[in-house]
Amino acid sequence: MSRLQASKPSVAALLALLVAALGASAAVQFAIDGRRASYNDAPEVLWIPSGKIMKRLSLGHEGLVADIYWTRAVQYYGGQRRDGKTDFNLLGPLLDITTDLDPYLLIAYKFGAIFLSEPSPRGADDPQQAVRLIRKAIQANPDEWRLWGDLGFIYYQNLHDYPAAAAAYLEGSKNPKAAQWMKVMAAVIHEKGGNRQTSRFLWTEIFQSTEDETVRKNAIEHLQGVHASQDIEEIEKRIAQFRGNHGRPPRSFDELIADGLIGGVPTDPLGIPYRIDANGKVLLDPKSKIRLED
Amino acid sequence: MTLTSPTLAVARNTFREAVRDRVLYNLVAFAVILIASAVLFGQISIGIQKIILINLGLSSISVFGLLISIFLGIGLVYKEVDKRSLYALLSKPVRRSQFLIGKFLGLNLTLLVNTFFMSAGLWAALYYLTRGFEHGDRYIFVAIYFILLELSLVTAVCLFFSCFSTPVLSAIFTFLLYVIGTFSSDIRAFGELTKSAPMKVLSTALYYLLPNFSDFQIAGWVSHGRPVAGSLILLNTMYTICYGAVLLIASIVVFSRKDLK
Repeated sequence: MSRLQASKPSVAALLALLVAALGASAAVQFAIDGRRASYNDAPEVLWIPSGKIMKRLSLGHEGLVADIYWTRAVQYYGGQRRDGKTDFNLLGPLLDITTDLDPYLLIAYKFGAIFLSEPSPRGADDPQQAVRLIRKAIQANPDEWRLWGDLGFIYYQNLHDYPAAAAAYLEGSKNPKAAQWMKVMAAVIHEKGGNRQTSRFLWTEIFQSTEDETVRKNAIEHLQGVHASQDIEEIEKRIAQFRGNHGRPPRSFDELIADGLIGGVPTDPLGIPYRIDANGKVLLDPKSKIRLED
Repeated sequence: MTLTSPTLAVARNTFREAVRDRVLYNLVAFAVILIASAVLFGQISIGIQKIILINLGLSSISVFGLLISIFLGIGLVYKEVDKRSLYALLSKPVRRSQFLIGKFLGLNLTLLVNTFFMSAGLWAALYYLTRGFEHGDRYIFVAIYFILLELSLVTAVCLFFSCFSTPVLSAIFTFLLYVIGTFSSDIRAFGELTKSAPMKVLSTALYYLLPNFSDFQIAGWVSHGRPVAGSLILLNTMYTICYGAVLLIASIVVFSRKDLK
């Protein structure tokens, strides 16, 4: 009995052992994380590529499974962008399965089309697939006039197919619930084709019609791009004036300021000054994250 | 077949016995936690926080309700025979049909109470997320009602198998019938596609013979705030009553001929 009592470890010793074991397991896990990184680079696979089969397998819970697939599509898109990858091969099938499972999940069509149509590296650079997705949405949700707007937007912004864009806006405007601007857009695009004001209006409409932060941020980035393009166009007009007066391009903005052509050094929407190259061409600063819009 | 006092006494007793089961509370608690987790789950997606909450909530109520109805349903008759408490009960003025109907009603009452608590969890999570309710949200009640109808049919199926089979086999049969019942529209579609006349007749017969659980699945629809027609509510209620009666009568026929010695 006394031998047993003598060998009984104290609570403090046990706790110390526990903490040591926990620390050791954390250290080992850290080592595993380093070695596992390469295994995690294995390409993602869609084990069941058919929405119809998934619908059967969901045993009546297709709404929930659709939500899971949409979340997976969002995570996949976000993950590829985060990792700087330009391959979005799974995006189309994931969106197809999502919308097969829940044909009324408008958000998946709308933002899925944006993910698909955005040029690389922002998106999959596949506007044709985006058009197919939106047409599928229109077929399943014929009362949703905004989908025609989304279709027109892809034709306008990504495919630069202005007659098709005007036709899409016009078709959507036939819905009695459609906003007046749909008809206006159809007329403007039909008459003028692509122009910056139309792009600004369309991105503003996207910005105002969504509550999602990711999409709002994307719309803001595009609006900043439109704004910067307009700035550059305006500054280059002043440079042309300078060239007319001096027979050469300005070496810096100071010369334009000195001539009273501009009030100060112009900055892009992020507050970073523009630059002038040797030929008098206005450029974004390399540090600026803005992408110019056509 | 009337709801006399012995039937109600058995129903009350079945309910009391069921609510004493700790597994039941665990399942309900787990369902409520799952529903609450939908609030977090929606944050890793885009624009579907509310939709995912409704879908996950309704699916949790349905799946956990199914588990509860199967795990309690399979022992409804078997346990009474196994524990020999049935002999004491039947020595009193209680008919076998009253015993079965009482068991069925008791389990339905248990499911009603469980569904109530799980639904309360769903509504609370929905209120937490949206800080108010919209007009279309009322159709969630219809989806919950359809889940209850579905669970009632599952209970009737379970009771039927429980009359002549062991609990494990009853659970397997019920689950398989549930799976087949969710595919019933495919069975009919298969018959319509085939060129063989006997196959067409067989698939049509199977379509009407097997319980059609897909009728009750409208969670995806109501998650978008879309309305459900009153006629569908009425027809689904009538279908449950009619098909439930078929299963109860079949159970009574089997159980009344069962040799309990």
